[in-house]
Amino acid sequence: MAYAAPIQPTAPTGLSSQENEALQASIFQRLHPRAYLERFLAEGFRPDGRTLEGWRDVSVNTGSISTADGSALVRLGNTTVVCGVKAEIAEPELDAGNRGFLVPNLDLPAMCSPRFKPGPPTDDAQVLSDRLNEALIASNILPLESLCIQPNKSVWVLYVDATCINYDGNAFDATLLAMVAALKNTRLPKTTYDELTKRTICSRKAERIPLDIKRTPVSASFGIFDSNRILSDPTAFEEPLLDTTLTVLLDNSTRELISVSQFGLGSASTDALGSCIQAAKKRWGESKDRIRL
Amino acid sequence: MGSSRPIEISFDGLARVDGSARFGFGDATAALASVSGPIEVRLASELPSQATFDVSVRPLSNVPSTESKSQASSIRSALAPSLILNKNPRTLIQLVVQTLSPTPISGPKWTDGLLGAMINASTLALLNAGSVPMRGAVCAIAVGKAQGGELLVDPEEDRTDELVQGGCFAFMVADGARLGSNSTSVWTNWRTLKGGTFNETEIAEAREAARDAVKRVYAAMKSSFLPGGASDPDEEKMET
Repeated sequence: MAYAAPIQPTAPTGLSSQENEALQASIFQRLHPRAYLERFLAEGFRPDGRTLEGWRDVSVNTGSISTADGSALVRLGNTTVVCGVKAEIAEPELDAGNRGFLVPNLDLPAMCSPRFKPGPPTDDAQVLSDRLNEALIASNILPLESLCIQPNKSVWVLYVDATCINYDGNAFDATLLAMVAALKNTRLPKTTYDELTKRTICSRKAERIPLDIKRTPVSASFGIFDSNRILSDPTAFEEPLLDTTLTVLLDNSTRELISVSQFGLGSASTDALGSCIQAAKKRWGESKDRIRL
Repeated sequence: MGSSRPIEISFDGLARVDGSARFGFGDATAALASVSGPIEVRLASELPSQATFDVSVRPLSNVPSTESKSQASSIRSALAPSLILNKNPRTLIQLVVQTLSPTPISGPKWTDGLLGAMINASTLALLNAGSVPMRGAVCAIAVGKAQGGELLVDPEEDRTDELVQGGCFAFMVADGARLGSNSTSVWTNWRTLKGGTFNETEIAEAREAARDAVKRVYAAMKSSFLPGGASDPDEEKMET
């Protein structure tokens, strides 16, 4: 945005009429965000030019972090999430001796958006991390028994750490995609447990083994504006204006439902849940070939 | 459809807050909620046109973790549609929920029953305080589907291992609205528990079963406010 050097109560004279209009539009957006969004929705579009059911482009890039056991970078429009998987060895729980651990976490640092201040993880980050954990558990992406090295002695712990580097709304979808892609990209070393020395030995030379991924979950998030308009894939501008969030989790290959959640008042006129499920199936149906996870 | 556990409601009368209530599905799944508000708000969380609604959840043991934060966020999004917050701008409505039943440490956890109890306890505490205008009462119940296809409403703790799908449903119930149904869905989470899948008819079925069961919860809430706990003669007029 151009800064006008002289401080005048009237519009800056250094701008062309086109720049002036753009400036007024963005002032209107800042001061009256709700009215701004309502004007767009009345025409059937959203501020970024999409229709109400439109989705942003997704790109997935895996294996870029060489120090991690698996990694992925996902761009969902402007929302960018990078995820790395690190594996460690630990002793299993006493009552679950043959189950490993999967520890997902999402970090929303101050650099991704002015919404987040530096310091301990904000409520948003904690809530999203917990929801992602539930999503991965519900989808049973990775049977934890496959992470066992030696029952009751030694298991793998997979730390799936995602960091958002640019936040433009819908961090949940982007992060789930990143975590799933990173897990698919993960290769663990061949490990054996030595009974004599009571130690776990990883082979450096032998070829690494991929994880036993059973299912690939994908998600589609929606928001409800004004109790009757369903917006898919909300941006950071739209998110604070939405009263309700709906998320549908699907199996990528069969497009069957894994989990459905609605937080907030449903739509007054339509069956919001039903139409969101249809929209989610359509979205992942058509782009199934384009995104290779 | 399985039968639900007896509902236990009591108003403990915590001394330093504006309203408090305890809600339990049987004695195994219970929560205690307290409400203070409208009270003084921190400048950072002050909103110019409405009251700030803040929820915190405390587990039975241990310090509050990310799970408590997630539960607090869920309770907040379930209750927010029922509160008329713009009557008291620049104030704080503080809701603190204490769980009274233990959650298992490891392995798959079924916390939907507890979440239902927390939402119900919060509604009762808000009604008990009487200081926040409300549009309706948010009532919640957990539903599960067993392997054979049987729908269990408010399943017992020892039957939760049999469930292949489950979730919690919360509805805002208000009498007197001349609509087909007087309850609107405000919160839903329905998911598979053992790595299967489900289809839309199953979730619709579960939601209707929950909507039906929530009538009982609402009736229990209403009767708990009457002197002597007598049942409300208006109960027959309540339709969902």
